Formats: sequence, C-alpha cells, structure tokens
Amino acid sequence: MREVVCHKEDIHPGKMRSATLGKIPVVVCRTKDGEFYAFANRCLHQGAPLSEGVLCGDTKRTDIHGNYEYIKDGEILRCPWHALEYDIKNDGAMLAEPDKKLRSFQVTIEDDQVVVYK
Amino acid sequence: MPKRQKQRRIIDTDIHERVTYSDLLPYLDNPWRRYIEDNHWVQEKHMPYTQPTVAGVDRADAVTPDGGAAGTDLRFMQEQLLDAEGHEYGILSGALDPSPSSMHGWYEMGAALASAYNDWQIENWLEKDSRLYGSVHIAAQDPQQAVREIERVGPHPKMVQILLPIDTRSWGDPYYHPIYEAAERHNLSIGMHHNEPPTHFGGWPRYFIEWHTMLPTAHMIEVSNMVFNGVFDKFPGLHLIMIEGGFTHVPHLMKKMDQQYKELRHEIPWVKRMPSRIIQDHVRFTTQPVEELSQREFMQFVDQMGSEDMICFATDYPHWDYDSPLQALPKLDAALEEKIYSENARAAYPKLPRPTGGAK
Repeated sequence: MREVVCHKEDIHPGKMRSATLGKIPVVVCRTKDGEFYAFANRCLHQGAPLSEGVLCGDTKRTDIHGNYEYIKDGEILRCPWHALEYDIKNDGAMLAEPDKKLRSFQVTIEDDQVVVYK
Repeated sequence: MPKRQKQRRIIDTDIHERVTYSDLLPYLDNPWRRYIEDNHWVQEKHMPYTQPTVAGVDRADAVTPDGGAAGTDLRFMQEQLLDAEGHEYGILSGALDPSPSSMHGWYEMGAALASAYNDWQIENWLEKDSRLYGSVHIAAQDPQQAVREIERVGPHPKMVQILLPIDTRSWGDPYYHPIYEAAERHNLSIGMHHNEPPTHFGGWPRYFIEWHTMLPTAHMIEVSNMVFNGVFDKFPGLHLIMIEGGFTHVPHLMKKMDQQYKELRHEIPWVKRMPSRIIQDHVRFTTQPVEELSQREFMQFVDQMGSEDMICFATDYPHWDYDSPLQALPKLDAALEEKIYSENARAAYPKLPRPTGGAK
C-alpha cells in the first residue's frame, strides 16, 4: 500500500502532520535535520492522536541530581494526553519502556512528494 | 516462658525503648544538661489528642512493675516480649519523641540529645541483651554534625540503622545525602518512623482515628521523595526500612509511581529505573499495624508487590497497637513466613548476624 501525503515543504523540519495510509491513521514527522519518519498515529497507552502532541527533546540521563541537559531536540514525539514519549529516530521506541514501539512505516520522497508505504 | 508451639525465628523490626530525662542527664554534657536541670527544658510536642486508648499510646499491661512508663525497663521487656515470644533479634527504634531530627529549632540541643541518647542506648540496652540491636539517632538538620555522630557511634557492632523521623521534612533532598553516604560507609540501613505530624496536607486531622488511619500517606511521601530525588541511584547499596506504616499501601504506590514515571520521567533524568524496581530492590516495609487479613487477601498484596522480600515483621512493643507474632498475620506458607518473620529483615540489616543452626 502506498499513500502520497503532501509536498515535502509542507512539513517543515521539527514539525509533523497527520495522514492516512488506507484506513490506518499515521503521523508523519520531520526531524530538524530534514529526515521524514512515519508511525501509526495512535499512542500505545490510551490511543490518543500523536499528531496533536509535539516534537520535542529529551533530558539526558545523568548521575547528578538537578542536572538537566536537553538532547535530541525535535526527535521525541510526545503524546498530547499523558505525555508519553517516543524516540522517532529509534524506531518509535517509548522512552520509559523501550521494548514498546510504535508501528512504523517506510517514508520516501518521490518528486518532492512525501510518500508513505505499508 | 517462651512459646514453644512455633520454632519460628523472629526478628522484630520495631521495638520502642523509652528514656526519661533523668536517665539521660548523666550522658549529657553542659550546657545542655543544665538547660534541663535548671530550666526544665522539654522538647516541643504538638499532638493535640488526648489518647483514646486504655493507657495512652502504650499497652496497658506494659507499665513496668514499679509503675514506670512502658519501655523503660529492660528486664520487663525481656520478660514480656523477648523471652515470651522467643525473639531472635529486635531492632530498637527509640521513643525520644519528638526525635532530634524533628526539632524545629535549636539543632545544637538536638545534636547533644542525640549523642546522649545513643550512649544511653548502647550502655543500657545494646550491651545488656545480645538480642537487641540499635538505631543511631542524629540531628539531621545539620548533616555534617549528623555525619560526625554516625562516625562516632555507627561503627558499634550493635548499631544497625540510622533513624530518621517522618515529619514535616522529606529526606530525598541532596542536602541530606551526606547522611546516606555515611550510612553506606558504615553498613547501616536507614530506618524511618513517623513522628509528628504524619501528613503534610490539611494539618492535624480533627481526631486521632484519622491521624492513625492516614499514617501510610506520610510513608508514601517519603518513599516517593527519596526515589524521585535519585537517592537510590546515587547510593546503590542503601537499604531503607519504613517502620510502622504497614505495607498494604505499597502496591498502589508502586503502580502509581511507575505510571507517573512513564509519563513524566524527563523531569528526573537522574532516576534510571522503574520506581517499582527501585522500591523492590531498596525499600522494606514493616507489617505493624497490620489490618486483619485472610491468607488470600495477604497474598494479593504480596502478588501485587511482585516480591516476597519486601515485608518485615514488627510488633511495635510496647505500644497500644502491638502486633502479636503468633496472632497478627494469617497462616502463610513456611518459606514466606520465614522471610517475613526473619530473613527479609536480616537482609535489610547487613550488620545483623547470619542465621546459625538448623534453619537455612
């Protein structure tokens, strides 16, 4: 199955948009380095539409209490409801429980169009 | 006479010995001693309730033979508790109430009282009964001073824990981390026992029954605070024993903390494991005051905690809500009974002797 989502410039780096692949709701994310990623647009927790959330960063694991270092800016898809986080460059793995992953889909750019495949 | 019907090892994780000011005076230096002798100084107390039990907060039958307050007479404690129930070991958790660490001012006096109390405890209890092990009292408001006291008495072979009160202060803040560092250094566990007040919100409830019912909420606040402030990530060898809060609140706390961690973990990047796992590895909960539970109900809590290693038996002798080693808990399978009545506590207190003889 194949679905043309939009022109690639319709999704700016660090932004995302919802689409459908057949009957499957998907979210297409563009990281700040310009890469595209697509996942099922449904949080593994309670099914919220992830495209209504935000692409943000993570705080780096540390041994020092009170030490914050912001990393992976624009690479973390955060759910609009309970704020669960998915690492879009790590196969959609949930940050808190990395063995849980969003269903991902292949994305290609064809003639400047964003195309999602199943 | 010891009760022979069960050859059960009992390590009692909450026994309250009690000091009077006159007993403590010989162990206090001046000027501290003079403040009590000349100025009749007494520690602040806040609890507004006239105690609605038969003998205040004590078992009415624990008044000593000469009419003294419960917990002031080692010989009577031996007769009524240690010999009668056949204790292997008991951990003294103090009754210096409020404890030095919950004094809301004059921390120097708190530190002096703590030192005097430790010396009194060692001389009159720990060195007079091989079964009794003790708690280092400190005035933690000044962590450096507290660490000096831990260095002074912590190496005593019968001191097994550092006692911190559950009061208006939570203990996860890095300000107190030198105390945990000292605990690890001396192989001491951290014991927490509620004091005044046990709840942070709403102030004092109107009735004692409310105060006593809600004790576990204060224990939950401390466990949550210490886990989320990364105490156990920073001190991987630390043991925490939550005393007199029971355990039936623990499954809820573990589940709730895990869910919050999944959603809000970015706020605490120094916490690297699921909270429930941290609690399973580091925190132990004493049984008393236990609710009346059937075996099935008891096992439901154990199952939800995901571990048989987290619950330790306690009597809270000589207090009114004492739990009998033979009567308080439902019948459990033998292996679990051994863990709850002795081996979980033995693992939680690394300085306790390992078992000898027939039982494993």
